[in-house]
Amino acid sequence: MATNPVPDHVPPEMVRDFSLFTSPGMPPTLNGDPHAAVARVHDGPPIFYSRYNTQDGRGTWVITRAADQRKVLQDAETFSSHRSIFSSILGENWPTIPLELDPPAHGVFRSLLNPLLSPKRVLALEPAVRERAVELIERIAASGTSCDVMKDFAFPFAVSTFLRFLGLPDDRLDTFVGWGKDLLHGDDKERPVAARTIVAFIDELAAMRRQEAVDDFMTFIVQAQVEGRRLTDTQVRGIGVLVFVAGLDTVAAAIGFDLAYLARNLKDQQLLRSEPDRIPLATEELLRAYPPIQLIRVATKDIDFEGAPIRKGDYVSCATMIANRDPAEFACPNTIDLEREDNRHAAFGYGPHRCLGSHLARREIVIGLEEWLARIPAFRIKQGTAPITSGGHVFGIENLILDWS
Amino acid sequence: MRIIVQKAKCQGHARCAAQAPDIFKLDEEGYILPSDIEVAEGEELPASRGARSCPERALELTR
Repeated sequence: MATNPVPDHVPPEMVRDFSLFTSPGMPPTLNGDPHAAVARVHDGPPIFYSRYNTQDGRGTWVITRAADQRKVLQDAETFSSHRSIFSSILGENWPTIPLELDPPAHGVFRSLLNPLLSPKRVLALEPAVRERAVELIERIAASGTSCDVMKDFAFPFAVSTFLRFLGLPDDRLDTFVGWGKDLLHGDDKERPVAARTIVAFIDELAAMRRQEAVDDFMTFIVQAQVEGRRLTDTQVRGIGVLVFVAGLDTVAAAIGFDLAYLARNLKDQQLLRSEPDRIPLATEELLRAYPPIQLIRVATKDIDFEGAPIRKGDYVSCATMIANRDPAEFACPNTIDLEREDNRHAAFGYGPHRCLGSHLARREIVIGLEEWLARIPAFRIKQGTAPITSGGHVFGIENLILDWS
Repeated sequence: MRIIVQKAKCQGHARCAAQAPDIFKLDEEGYILPSDIEVAEGEELPASRGARSCPERALELTR
């Protein structure tokens, strides 16, 4: 796999044999800990070049220090986020919005969408989110002393919360999750099929809402005006695709990694169960320890960055799970301390593209943990089972079988 | 105590408001209001916690 040539401007001594896709612990692994596995890069230089580090097999610079990632991500002029991450799968070139727009165009769309996911708006969504969590967990508790957390709780909870936000019904939840899996974790054949399916779905939804308005997200988008004009079809699609895909995988993965941690650390589990007021602070630490996302930027000009000769067009990787284990930023970064204070982690990124859904995501995790711990007694990983974890484009965990018999 | 707000650096993480909602006021988009903040006596602790919580380093404490 790591057969890409090293670009001429990259000094050979800056190339390292590291990849979020192929390094040890990154392919699907039984009982793996991919976040701890990538943390080992901190034994090496702060910036290096990886020959194979994106889903489409490209080389990237790898920025390991949180402070350096902050510099890159705050400077959208030098480090653009427009790389057609989605449309390129289809051999096309249109941006997902607002992620792949650079300032100033970015700010206009961001201002349109921010109020829909502001802390205040999320507060209003909370009762429904909690109700959904309780409903799912009570069904699990009533049906036995074991379950597959991913299939029975994390995915249905995270994805239905999100579908409700979008104004979509729950009944196609499994189909949507399947599209997300193929898109984010699929092979070269599955990804374009999933991408095409999602685009068709979003286009059709937009057409329906144009024809008949209802009180939902897509109606808001097709009716919205930016600088006095309705959005173009490509802009509506760019927003719809991004918001749809962003909700399919990340929160479920986070809840899965968090419950796997608590299943293996009974003292922490018991602490949070007996003192649930600690859960919001603990959630920040779990966000630090187990973020699922790598952010990639493209250099818009030649720049010597902290000793790295970055040239126009180079890809620059800011993996949140690497910044979050930076010993220069966090004391004892590989120790999970649920009482950690001053925890300015990078789970939602830095700079203008800070995760638009961060406030909803964080509350979903808090609520999910609160309701789970309130209703499920001391749980462990079921004997004879092993969760499968993986690194890659979005870190994930499959089949987390818990047991509380 | 005073908090200098670098509005341009705020990206709406809202961690400051999570620490101290009465000290760090947000606009409709969830970003900090632009003016610097005079911290009332007795509110130094939550104010400094809030300022220290900013992932973007947009809030600066002065005495």
